[in-house]
Amino acid sequence: MEQYQGEYIVELDGICKSFPGVKALDNVRFRLRSGEVMALLGENGAGKSTLMKVLSGVYQRDSGTMKIFGQNIDAMNPKRAQELGVAIIHQELNMCQHLTVAENMFLGREKKKGLVVAQRQMNEEAGRILKSLDIDLDPTTLVGSLPVSKQQMVEIAKALSTNARILIMDEPTSALTSKEIEELFRIVRQLKAEGRGIVYISHRLEELQHIVDRVTIMRDGQYILENDFAAMDMSEIIANMVGREIKEKFPRVHCEKGRKILEVKHLNAGRMVRDVSFESYEGEILGLAGLMGAGRTETTRAIFGVDPKESGQIFIDGREIKINNPMDAIRNGLVLAPEDRKKDGLCTKLSVRSNIELPNLDIASNKLGVVNRGKVTRMVDEAIRNFTIKLASPEVDAGSLSGGNQQKVVVSKWLTRQSRVVIFDEPTRGIDVAAKVEIYHIMNQLKQQGISVIFVSSEMPEVLGIADRVIVMCDGRITGEMDISDATQERILELATRFETKLDAAKAAV
Amino acid sequence: MENKKQNPIKKFVSARGVGQVLTVLVGLVILCFIFNLINSNFLGPRNVANLLRQIAPYIIIGIGQGYVLITANIDLSIGSVVGMSCMMIATLICNGLNPYLAILISLIACLAVGVINGELVARCKLPPFVATLGTQTICRGIAQLVNGNLNTDSIVGAGSQWREVAEGVRNFCYYGKTFGVYNTFWIALVIWLIFNFILAYTSTGRHVYAIGSNVEASKLSGVNVPRTIVKAYLISSFCAAVTGLITCAQSGTGTMNAGMSYETFAVAASVIGGISTMGGTGILSGVLVGASVWAVMDNGLQMVNTQVGLKNVVVGMIVILSVLIDVVRRSGKLSFKRNK
Repeated sequence: MEQYQGEYIVELDGICKSFPGVKALDNVRFRLRSGEVMALLGENGAGKSTLMKVLSGVYQRDSGTMKIFGQNIDAMNPKRAQELGVAIIHQELNMCQHLTVAENMFLGREKKKGLVVAQRQMNEEAGRILKSLDIDLDPTTLVGSLPVSKQQMVEIAKALSTNARILIMDEPTSALTSKEIEELFRIVRQLKAEGRGIVYISHRLEELQHIVDRVTIMRDGQYILENDFAAMDMSEIIANMVGREIKEKFPRVHCEKGRKILEVKHLNAGRMVRDVSFESYEGEILGLAGLMGAGRTETTRAIFGVDPKESGQIFIDGREIKINNPMDAIRNGLVLAPEDRKKDGLCTKLSVRSNIELPNLDIASNKLGVVNRGKVTRMVDEAIRNFTIKLASPEVDAGSLSGGNQQKVVVSKWLTRQSRVVIFDEPTRGIDVAAKVEIYHIMNQLKQQGISVIFVSSEMPEVLGIADRVIVMCDGRITGEMDISDATQERILELATRFETKLDAAKAAV
Repeated sequence: MENKKQNPIKKFVSARGVGQVLTVLVGLVILCFIFNLINSNFLGPRNVANLLRQIAPYIIIGIGQGYVLITANIDLSIGSVVGMSCMMIATLICNGLNPYLAILISLIACLAVGVINGELVARCKLPPFVATLGTQTICRGIAQLVNGNLNTDSIVGAGSQWREVAEGVRNFCYYGKTFGVYNTFWIALVIWLIFNFILAYTSTGRHVYAIGSNVEASKLSGVNVPRTIVKAYLISSFCAAVTGLITCAQSGTGTMNAGMSYETFAVAASVIGGISTMGGTGILSGVLVGASVWAVMDNGLQMVNTQVGLKNVVVGMIVILSVLIDVVRRSGKLSFKRNK
């Protein structure tokens, strides 16, 4: 791209895009300058990702004009986008796990020496780009062996290797720890300083202040406004995203703390669950806080019987129960709404009805195993009504719903049966503010029904806002417990980073 | 990550797919040793020559299936394409056509099948199992139709003006030797060298792996996914066509049942050699080893006078075992990763 002097490097006007039955984008406009970070905000299903897919050529627009570096673009496809310097870093990381870092970075535009792929040259160049970003990675490592955060760095490096001038980051921080987020921000600032334009999509509004210059807000497929970030306050942004004021971000209901329901004693399961003991009570929400990778998910999986336990006891209502697999847990009234909706929580290719029906077939069928369709229909209707799941019909694929509605399906499928303990693992990740509040309401409802709710979350504000008691984990151990009245972000963070020093570990080993 | 200067041997072993190949290679050597203990003629010069010739067709079809498997698809039409190739060549020669022309025409027909397979899977989005099951049946049907549901006469029949040429083809493909080894093996080796080069050193090869690993990511990286999948199926059909030619050269006639269930042999050869049916992993050296295991079992169990049924039972168990080893090894790695 030769020197372009115009004010905007991206100008989208009147963009429309329809999918069968839905108008995903309706007359949307979007502007991006070079050297700025533009936050693209909106609820799930507002059309942010669709708009960015139009910009990066994954989708074709139905109508509207697109100017990139002042140049009118008629037909866009991923290859053309790459040539123009548009790169997108997808929410679901798109990496070939079986290929190396360098191979992924140069996929689709391998460097060649004659007929042969110039492996060494690609490795060297990949190494150089990674180094320029201060990322410590060997380009010959297999991507599948890297943690998510590093894979994301590879995606960014890949974008830079195409000499991208316009970078789109779709929810880049949703799977990162706070330390990794800091590193990401450092890189974003560096890219910005180099004069690249960055579109930043995120639901974590609190992190915007660290990097964002301007915001564009979308709602229901429409453009709402564009403004300097500094000129707006948070509640204004939220109000524009939702189209209404959200009175309570964290609705709290007060309940009498009742009898002890769940008790976990000295649970051990691998490196990430070490001597974990805690209890939970009727009418309370127990928050399980900590950094990403602190062993919380592993703990819930071990309790639920997905991963094998080495030792430890689990009691429900004072009675010891043996949980060797999820079936045992479910039979004893302990259920889990897992962290990764698409991977562990839903059969995305099955209908919503089938998903809700699946764990309840034992209740819905007679002794011969024949399923009572009427009973299932009633169960499904009730679940959809109780959780206000927005869908055209229970027969649509679960995977086609928005994140928030998917999460409601995951939760609702458990709640049609009598449960004693419900574990929510990161239930609000990647869903919008309004849907989050609905999930909080569901948790509160359960709490009022005398069910023990365990709430795993990495976002401290919501733990503080919703939980009644907080347990903090770090490195596979419980490092602290406190009542919500004593809890502050600082205290939780302090406990969440209380790593064992080498000395302690050595002592423990003796 | 930090120990950049790895032990070169260790690095070689941990490279893509090499581990499984070495494991199976050790098994192969042991197998040969055992057969030779029972019948000392097994590793005798005569049998080794035969063995190498026997391995060749398995290597060739294994290469084709290997490509398709690495893209996370499957080609069930291989066996029928072998049959079609064999029958078309023989029928055309018997009807007085120049053998070279006959081979060319049938090759083009077989490549067309590859294109159709690829288009059906990549562009029409048919499940590969179904698409190639369809072409499998169609190709077998064509093999039966071309000569009116009869096997052909000899392609070197008396009175044919092309007798000498046909004889030459038979020698070139099957009966002749170069440097003391049957030509069939050399053909397989040359094909292997070419396609191994493409898979390991060209961007097409890289795309084959990438698609098998993550189609979506490949598409978004600007890889032409349909074209690459068509290429893989084309290679598979090419390999099947060559195998058909070899079969024809061997028997000297066209047999309608030629290549029956070769597609499964091809899957077995690939899988034993460490090519995952889930796509994204495996190397063509694995096909060499996998095809050898298959042929050694075939030949060896015959040499020690066992029944065919027993061979099938044992080979089936080897297929399961080799994949099982891989799965166990990989899950072992996984839990290791989680505990980091």
